[in-house]
Amino acid sequence: MIFSKLDAATYPFISLASRLVKELEESLGLNAILSPDSEVLRRSVERIREAVYSRATSVYKRDLEVEVLSHPVALILIKHMNNKRLVNVYAEAEKNRVLANLLKESQEKLATLAIDGFNWHVKREGDFLFVRFDDYLKTSVNMLDAYWKLVNRRLVKGYVELSRRDFSRLLAEAYRTRILEKVNQVEDVQVPSTLKSVIEELEREFQGVLPKVDVSATYVGEYVPSAFPACILKLLEEAEQGKNLSHMARFTLATFLLSIGKTPEELLDLFRKMPDFDESKTLYHLRHIAGEIGSRKKYTPPSCATLRTFGLCVANDELCQKVKHPLTYYSKKLKSLKRGELGKRAK
Amino acid sequence: MGKELNNEGFVKKMFKKYYAEWEGEPPKDFNRREFAFVISRKGEMIRHKAFEEWGEVREFLRKNSPLHVYYSSAYYAQPSASDMDAKEWMGADLIFDIDVDHIYTPCKERHDRWTCLDCNTSGRGMPPEACPKCSSKRVEVKTWFCEGCLEVAKEETTKLVEDFLIQDFNFSPREISIVFSGRRGFHVHVESDVVKELDQRARREIVDYVRGTGLVVQNGKRRVLAPPLNAGGWPGRLAKGVYELLNAGDIEGLLNLRRGSKVEEVLKAIVKGLEESRDYWPLEGLARKIWFKAVEKVIVRKRCEVDERVTTDIKRLIRMPGTLHGGTGLIAAKVHLKDLESFDPYVHAVAFVKGEIKVKVLNMPEITFLNQTWGPYNDEVVELPIGLAVYLICSENAIVVGEGDENA
Repeated sequence: MIFSKLDAATYPFISLASRLVKELEESLGLNAILSPDSEVLRRSVERIREAVYSRATSVYKRDLEVEVLSHPVALILIKHMNNKRLVNVYAEAEKNRVLANLLKESQEKLATLAIDGFNWHVKREGDFLFVRFDDYLKTSVNMLDAYWKLVNRRLVKGYVELSRRDFSRLLAEAYRTRILEKVNQVEDVQVPSTLKSVIEELEREFQGVLPKVDVSATYVGEYVPSAFPACILKLLEEAEQGKNLSHMARFTLATFLLSIGKTPEELLDLFRKMPDFDESKTLYHLRHIAGEIGSRKKYTPPSCATLRTFGLCVANDELCQKVKHPLTYYSKKLKSLKRGELGKRAK
Repeated sequence: MGKELNNEGFVKKMFKKYYAEWEGEPPKDFNRREFAFVISRKGEMIRHKAFEEWGEVREFLRKNSPLHVYYSSAYYAQPSASDMDAKEWMGADLIFDIDVDHIYTPCKERHDRWTCLDCNTSGRGMPPEACPKCSSKRVEVKTWFCEGCLEVAKEETTKLVEDFLIQDFNFSPREISIVFSGRRGFHVHVESDVVKELDQRARREIVDYVRGTGLVVQNGKRRVLAPPLNAGGWPGRLAKGVYELLNAGDIEGLLNLRRGSKVEEVLKAIVKGLEESRDYWPLEGLARKIWFKAVEKVIVRKRCEVDERVTTDIKRLIRMPGTLHGGTGLIAAKVHLKDLESFDPYVHAVAFVKGEIKVKVLNMPEITFLNQTWGPYNDEVVELPIGLAVYLICSENAIVVGEGDENA
């Protein structure tokens, strides 16, 4: 199967797209592409705006070469804006656009796109597509729903059986992940000064729409147990009852509370009721994981996936389905609690 | 001669003998791996060793006759760097650990004991996480590896290798090695480029798969969708498992159902449905209830009890196949899948087969060693085959009383 320019514009992850970008960059020159009045720059900015305002980008079919170039240029702009939320929003929007297109493709085309773009090992049989499990896992680990856990898939002779729809979703997710990697990778190309004004303008524009959030700052120093995820609440309760917690349970509880601003000394009392409490040892461990002594590495709580593996996950409110990490849960819950309070006051 | 030797000296001498002739089999890309050794009981672990030539490994073992020999499951650009980041991780084997320590076996009630070092409370069977009387975590255990334990370990290993690694994951038997751990279980090494570069998260998915963790049984409000027998992966495993279960006797007892014509009828309908369905098919009412009960039993039966920490650790140190376990004096012997069923560690993993020696046995249940039955012994001096003596001394169940004729 031979890809067209339209394919390269629609699916920026295929090899033809990167080849075209390289060729065009050579023939046109980077300066021309990034000049203030260039069509590519205009389209790149538009592409970012589409992502921010409608959460899905479009494909600009009038000039496919412009379209092909606009994606990498958009990534350069985004990289320079240094706003983590913008990166996520753009990647998500691109994923949505690609997914909508993938859903219309034939089984054969889907397979070809995955092989060309991501080197997946793909087989086709009947109505199904099969992806080798290692290729599957590299992407599926980013997907939250239990539906995507390997244990819940049909694994046959090393290949995961997927419907066309699920295959498309996996492929779109692989593309999203690649965008995030790319933004982190894009080297600091010296951008022409003319580009700086475009970047500054966009930054001002997005200030109200996509406020920069420093996740750690949203909850530091705020101890609001009603916003704790259920797993942490349960551990907290057990610790207060003096139950003998496992190593992993203690580590989880301690790292969580340290992350939200408790000090090792403050946590001592919590562990005092443990049957094997030893003040100096406990303080030593707490200070160690707080990064105050030893390797100076500040430990963060384990992710939801790890908690599940160790049987510490007690999930199940709706928010749990949307997050991968107990700290994200806390920050989101805290925010929604505050919003609720403000709402009440306004009434 | 009759020269007095202490336990450690005796063990050291025996290990030296073993490694004098030792050839070993180099693991894949051994020069990219970190090696680690425990030389003496009180000594610390020597880490971050790397070897360019296999002869150097043999030389090291000959010289030092270590109690424990490990290598990294990981491949590094700089295996001898002492800083883990400076080692530059390049990939790792996929490792599984099946250890009877972590699996309940009923025979433990007979042969395992634990004692609290603080209040002296003791009991039999699996040790508690903390002493039930004084909550101390300083619980000492005395464990044995009997035929019952061995059977369980073999069963789990067979399940892992045949049902999961070969059937579902499609690893070739050539990429899989089964190794007796040297004590109470088996290690399974998978050396394959397919998994070499997988990160911790991907490996966690693999271990969750093998353990059946996070398995969701498709369930609607009123009906459940049962998978067909020929489905791949866990769905097919569940369907087949339920089919086997329902075809075995005393289903009502096993699933705790009330006997009756209604139940009979539904059981028959499920069996028939499984035999005929080619796709997912719905079960409602009592059939749905029975399905759930059966599936619960099937998961426990079909899942494989591996230690998730070992598999998810991409920089694990693991005992080197072919070397001795310092806690038993047995060889961490490679076992072919076809020989697993007949594998007997007290025959096939014995390093010292010639000679007898007198030792004072502190405590030992009946053990069949090299096809001969010994014991039980309690605080008595007996003459034993040297391999069994080494085993008891290494596991601190016996002490040397005099030199035997093993030099004869």
